[in-house]
Amino acid sequence: MNLKEVYPDCDKLLPRLIAEQKKNGFISEQAMKKISDETKIPISRIYAATTFYANLFVRKQGNYLIEICNSPSCYLNNSLDVIKELEKLLKIKSGETTKDNKFSLHIGSCIGCCDKAPAMMINKKVYGNLTKEKIKEIIQKCKS
Amino acid sequence: MQILKKTNLKALEKAKKLGSEKIIALVSKKGLTGRAGGGFPTGKKWQMVKETPANEKYVICNADEGEPGTFKDRFILENNPETLIEGIMIACFAVNAKKAYIYLRSEYTSLKPKLQKTINEVLKKAKSKLNMEIFSGAGSYVVGEETAIIASIEGKRGQPNLRPPYPTTQGLFNKPTVINNVETLTNIPQLVLFDDWKDLKLHSLSGCVNKPGVYELPIGIKLKDIIKLAEPKNKVKAIYFGCFGGCLPYEQFKEMEMKQENICKQNCALGSSTMIIVDETKSIVDIATNIAKFYEFESCGRCTPCREGTMRILHFLEEISLGKATKEDFETLQELAWVIKETSFCGLGQSSMNHLLSALQYFKKEFEAKLK
Repeated sequence: MNLKEVYPDCDKLLPRLIAEQKKNGFISEQAMKKISDETKIPISRIYAATTFYANLFVRKQGNYLIEICNSPSCYLNNSLDVIKELEKLLKIKSGETTKDNKFSLHIGSCIGCCDKAPAMMINKKVYGNLTKEKIKEIIQKCKS
Repeated sequence: MQILKKTNLKALEKAKKLGSEKIIALVSKKGLTGRAGGGFPTGKKWQMVKETPANEKYVICNADEGEPGTFKDRFILENNPETLIEGIMIACFAVNAKKAYIYLRSEYTSLKPKLQKTINEVLKKAKSKLNMEIFSGAGSYVVGEETAIIASIEGKRGQPNLRPPYPTTQGLFNKPTVINNVETLTNIPQLVLFDDWKDLKLHSLSGCVNKPGVYELPIGIKLKDIIKLAEPKNKVKAIYFGCFGGCLPYEQFKEMEMKQENICKQNCALGSSTMIIVDETKSIVDIATNIAKFYEFESCGRCTPCREGTMRILHFLEEISLGKATKEDFETLQELAWVIKETSFCGLGQSSMNHLLSALQYFKKEFEAKLK
């Protein structure tokens, strides 16, 4: 079946969701309803797609979305030390957001920076060859 | 490096002069195979799409490089996007597609502005009317599978579908679709233009080494000659071929020629030539637990063996690492690993146990030492 014949805007859905995530830090029910009205795609389908992806959220994320890699190459280069340091500094665990809504932390899959392991991304910007000291510096910069 | 050579639209010019049939024959003759891991002959794939009658056809460049330890496509996107774009244009010309997508994984979002600028420049310079769109992913490992990438562009959950039908006949929007990897498509203009083009492959080396990076090497080179390039920090214990490829003990296999068939004989897979080097200071049980966590996270949840199985495997491995598992648990773990491998719906679930089964084959003692 050609899905385009049923939902002509089906290929616009994921770009719309990504834009919404970027703009508001999450995808609210109202946003889904609005997208549904405009694209004529049922909201159930929109919710299904949203909850499939690791980078789309139905809960509000902090201004700084930290995604730290813990796949083998980073793990072998002591990513756990860096993750512990992040958790200590931000006082949150993976999947959580700080009370002031500034930081969200997610331990995730490989970000393709294995040559700079251990590595993380903050709002998609890559920080590589991390150490505890570097983490302190980066977080301090975000806070100020 | 051959992969960094620029072709400056001369390959496209040559392709147009030759015509689509001859260009497909040339790609087949030079023996280019898919570089994402499957190794399917590229010319054959194009031929199948060309032969399928349809009013619309599509080309998708798969830049959803999610395999842990792999970063060769990022290397190309950063250093030679012009040639990649020319490769996509040649693919579109060969199969008569008017629209091309570059499916860029969300982790590579930072590369998007430069890539978009390069697309605009190249299309303008070639006076091409081709519609080429960067389509961003949103964080999913399994979307790298070709039927899942189609589902993702169509706005569905990025879950794989049963094949056949193959994308070559019923792909994106049910139309014939070519899906090629970044490295495969970058090789196209180079093999068209340069008579001395060689079938070289990019290797992503990382892990316990001083010089991680992308290395371009001929197919069939000995394992020890690859590993020494990355300068291991200590005595090497094992090599992991990404997560899905499984692992081999280094000392026993260091003389092995790195060809797909040699590695398959050991129940491993070379995939996209990803090698994660593990040295003597690291525990295989810990790495198995780490990889199990990856699969538990990335399982899409569609089929029961993978969704529930990867979770149980992770639980057992955590118990083993903590010294809480019994001999009985260990036996259940091994049985369960086979069940997941045999009964999962798609390639992710089926290959999710390769790392564990190969680790159990070669490093069983490390697991047994941690049992109660």
